[in-house]
Amino acid sequence: MRSSPPPAGDDQTLLRLEEVVKHFPIRRGVVLRREVGRVRAVDGVSLEVRRGETLGLVGETGCGKSTLARCMARLHELTSGRVVFDGRDISRLPQRQLRRLRTDLQMIFQDPYNSLNPRRRVGSIIGDPLAIHGLADGAERRRRVQELMAQVGLNPEHYNRFPAEFSGGQRQRIGIARALALRPRLVVCDEPVSALDVSIQAQILNLLADLQGQLGLTYVFIAHDLSVVRHVSTRIAVMYLGKIVEVAETEDLFTRPRHPYTCALLSAIPIPDPDLADRRARLLLTGDVPSPVNPPTGCRFHPRCPKARERCRREEPRLEPRAGDQEGHATACHYPVEPDEDLAQAARVREGTVGEVKDAGGTHGDR
Amino acid sequence: MTFPTPDGPLEAVRGVDLDVPSGTVVGVVGESGSGKSVTMLSMLGLIQGAQVSGQALFEGRDLLGMSASELRKVRGARIAMVFQDPLSSLHPHYRVGWQIAEMIRAHEPVSRAQARRRAVELLAMVGIPQPEQRVDDYPHQFSGGMRQRVMIAMALALHPRLLIADEPTTALDVTVQLQILDLLRRLQAELDTAVIIVTHDLGVIAEMAQEVLVMYAGQVVERASRRGIYRHPHHPYTRGLLGSLPARAELPGRPHAPLGAERGRRDRLTPIPGQPPSLLHVPSGCPFHPRCPFVMDVCRRKPPELRPLDADGSHRSACWLPVDLVGLGPEVDGRRQAAAEAGRARLGRSQEAG
Repeated sequence: MRSSPPPAGDDQTLLRLEEVVKHFPIRRGVVLRREVGRVRAVDGVSLEVRRGETLGLVGETGCGKSTLARCMARLHELTSGRVVFDGRDISRLPQRQLRRLRTDLQMIFQDPYNSLNPRRRVGSIIGDPLAIHGLADGAERRRRVQELMAQVGLNPEHYNRFPAEFSGGQRQRIGIARALALRPRLVVCDEPVSALDVSIQAQILNLLADLQGQLGLTYVFIAHDLSVVRHVSTRIAVMYLGKIVEVAETEDLFTRPRHPYTCALLSAIPIPDPDLADRRARLLLTGDVPSPVNPPTGCRFHPRCPKARERCRREEPRLEPRAGDQEGHATACHYPVEPDEDLAQAARVREGTVGEVKDAGGTHGDR
Repeated sequence: MTFPTPDGPLEAVRGVDLDVPSGTVVGVVGESGSGKSVTMLSMLGLIQGAQVSGQALFEGRDLLGMSASELRKVRGARIAMVFQDPLSSLHPHYRVGWQIAEMIRAHEPVSRAQARRRAVELLAMVGIPQPEQRVDDYPHQFSGGMRQRVMIAMALALHPRLLIADEPTTALDVTVQLQILDLLRRLQAELDTAVIIVTHDLGVIAEMAQEVLVMYAGQVVERASRRGIYRHPHHPYTRGLLGSLPARAELPGRPHAPLGAERGRRDRLTPIPGQPPSLLHVPSGCPFHPRCPFVMDVCRRKPPELRPLDADGSHRSACWLPVDLVGLGPEVDGRRQAAAEAGRARLGRSQEAG
């Protein structure tokens, strides 16, 4: 089946998501398995991944970023919407063709402990993709695997070892080698460094950067650590409760965030620098993230938003460019944040704590 | 302190000195396996099967020499702890209010009704909405951030003089983390409790602590004020930790070039090479020497002591490099390199002579 010809200007786009929806039904009962509700993990996401870029995807636990990643790689069947990879709609591909797609599109997972089979030797784990796709056998496969191991900074002589003999950072290197075995064009990295200590995390981030340069890879990079995402990404999309609330070039997003949720997220990053940490005004959100089973009406962020008004409760804002923004910057907010606006003050007004000294930083002096 | 293991004795913590003046916040930072949590747990007698030597003086009394029942009176009442994972620290079968009341009643002769009233007050203090209703909820009915608030309420129930928070926000999202850190900071100031905050997150330490200890392979390798650690680190491990942080790349004066924007000229992190050592086979001399870019001959032979770098001894480092080599950046690193080369050459010559 041929898909319709791609629209003009599409040659820059490697992967395009169109209104992607993924709901997980909640079922009750033994025989009838009645559907009693749905977890709206991803609820209408449109997004582009451009060739050669690193698209960062950030959001808090349960915002649907991992589900979205799995939808991109077709590890989940979509509830509705389309995923277009290199001009081809892959959202309804049958299994056989899906397998061929895997040579172009690979994933790296968060947990280097559970994503590797503990009973198999590292050489065969990394060589699996080559075997499955019938690309290399015997001595040739071994040679290719050892090449890959050297490329990701593992000792090729450790070909016959088991995953348990490697440390967390080295295991993540094994996962990377496996993902690269087929020379993919797009690699979806789902929290690839979250389980690692900082000194090891830096090794893996540098490795991913080197490989991108050498192999011309495109990354989708998911992490909850915003400083990591800022370091690696060319563009960043912010997710909240199954929706993209803001997308922009990395520096644009960090210097001129428009969505109040993005502002809150950015102001919450702990800065490893005492002076900046003290000087910074903090936007303290109240409450918890609502359940994706029953998302709020209108704008999903309105119950926690310091700027929420009546309209936000009724009408869902669209993700679109807002006045005065750089190209490529889109925000899903009726009342986007202005550059000189003091959101923290708005939050205090809303909480009714104006006047009270509520110092979120700088209460402690240095010796 | 040492654990007997089938592979021989495992020395988890070696020669850690820690003093926490009342009313201050001390941060302990280190990577997994550096012994930071074990130090805290052993101090409170919460680790079984470990051989502990040394002293842990709290208000002038040695915790390590106390009997189990004496220790029980101190723990919870005078010293309280908040752990990383509130779900596994709360009992799933009991209502949270009951658990807080139980804690109070274990230490103070109050009636059930009084204890319950205190529990409601405490839940209100830590910012749990509708405390009168929530007091009768079970732990699973709370979100992660709310559970951590419950843990903090419980820890502060008896006005402890010292609160030990072990990775209190590691399991939480950043916006919730900010709420919890803000809460801890306000309560600390209000109640004038001393706090030891243990974490791997240098960002959290920078936000919270006045005094910082950096641990590596079971030892304290550097100790200084917050500013001392972040601005003028001496130990190469501290320097390495700070260099590994992506967020540091965004500090003023260091322009940020995102990866992939310009191929070949990208902002690289400076990770620490290699892996942390196994505590069963801690390297000879300085435990950091196999990973240290400024290793000298003496580092392989003699373990450095935590020695003062300045006159008042507020900044201490366990490293053989000259005491004035503090700070970050290429200039200091160049001087470090020169010192290290001198340290290597000197021994080479003396060996030739001998």
